[in-house]
Amino acid sequence: MEALLLSIRLAITVSAILFVIGVPLAYWLTFSRWPGKFMIEAIVSLPLVLPPTVLGFYLLIAMGSNGPLGRFWQAAFGHGLAFTFTGLVIASVLYSLPFAVQPLAASFESIDRKLLDASAVLGAGRLRTFVRVILPLSIPGVISAIVLSFAHTLGEFGVVLMVGGNLAGATRTVSIEIYDRVQSMDYAGANQVALGLLLFSFVVLSIVYGVNRYIARNSGRRIWSPWPAK
Amino acid sequence: MTKPALGAQIHFARSPRSESKFVLDVTLEFVPGVTVIFGPSGAGKSTLLDCIAGLLKPQQGKIVAGDDTLLDTDARIDVRPEQRHIGYVFQSLALFPHMTAQDNVKYGLARLSSEEQNRRADEILSAFHIESLRSRKPRELSGGEQQRVALARALVTHPCVLLLDEPMTGLDSELKKSIAHDLLAWNDRHGIPILYVTHSHEEAAALGGRVVFLKNGRIVDQLAR
Repeated sequence: MEALLLSIRLAITVSAILFVIGVPLAYWLTFSRWPGKFMIEAIVSLPLVLPPTVLGFYLLIAMGSNGPLGRFWQAAFGHGLAFTFTGLVIASVLYSLPFAVQPLAASFESIDRKLLDASAVLGAGRLRTFVRVILPLSIPGVISAIVLSFAHTLGEFGVVLMVGGNLAGATRTVSIEIYDRVQSMDYAGANQVALGLLLFSFVVLSIVYGVNRYIARNSGRRIWSPWPAK
Repeated sequence: MTKPALGAQIHFARSPRSESKFVLDVTLEFVPGVTVIFGPSGAGKSTLLDCIAGLLKPQQGKIVAGDDTLLDTDARIDVRPEQRHIGYVFQSLALFPHMTAQDNVKYGLARLSSEEQNRRADEILSAFHIESLRSRKPRELSGGEQQRVALARALVTHPCVLLLDEPMTGLDSELKKSIAHDLLAWNDRHGIPILYVTHSHEEAAALGGRVVFLKNGRIVDQLAR
């Protein structure tokens, strides 16, 4: 139970942070004309292809007592980052970044550019156009980004193990708990936790696809998802 | 009320949408009333409107509205579209799909008080006979009703010029005449210069006014009626 609560706390924190940084980043990736933009797109998407242990390894080095992030944190707050909940949050934000940015960027991209032209000609600056036109028309993408960030953070294992270790109450998330129980041959306990996670993931994805279908039917717009809604 | 004249001199505006070496070389002076820009597809009609609205930047050109210079490439003046105070009805109409007809119309009035916004919206919704549709969203409106909302949204701000880019495509001729009648009736009172782009003889005839023939990015003829 403690592990589940910790995982949910981590997932909520990470989803909130990803929303705050994901929206402006996705906006910039969608509308910027900077020719080097593709490199930022590649960096944001790296966690999709990298093994979690690779990302976790570099983060562990960076957050360690000799790493740049670890030294900065030590100087600023008087304690290190590795094997702490804060370290876990930073690692999870980076690991789940594409799951927030890609649905948002896809949603922004799908908006008819003539609507943005119309908004500008009617006297609205970029901020007003974003708040009044882009964001309301991207609600499906925003929901999708939050749900996918939450679900992905909840289920992550490799990065958590590398950066957070296995400290009860601090960094032992639900996926680590399952791993622990299997290691100690407690298959029944592992099954109980795994089944809970499986059901939760199924419910979350069902909501995403259900809302996707509902919105597609009612407005012609749809939530970003890896599979097309029929 | 007479609005100040607006003039546009636009040279060598290559369309970024096209791979071809399209060149627009136009000098026009606009006066209150309707000026129909007539020409075949690819003549540069929409590019001309986009340049005037500030959505495209010509390599060289000058656009003046009354005392305001909107664009002067030699003097490096390029007023942003949101500050040009121009009305524009796109071919696709570009109504905000998540807003009601009334919210669409009031979108360009954000700088006015709430009372003034409501007064102006009521006035123009009534002039275009769509006051009973104010709470409907664009997808709940017919093509002709959407057209009226788009015109009302563009005119309610009292722009220095109104740009219309083939806005009546797809409507039947009776509906076109009815909407053109409402537009001209409104403009009789407000005297806004209207640039009406079309490649339809029927629309050009219905609107009257001056006709400018555009071909391959250049004015090939002008007809005052």
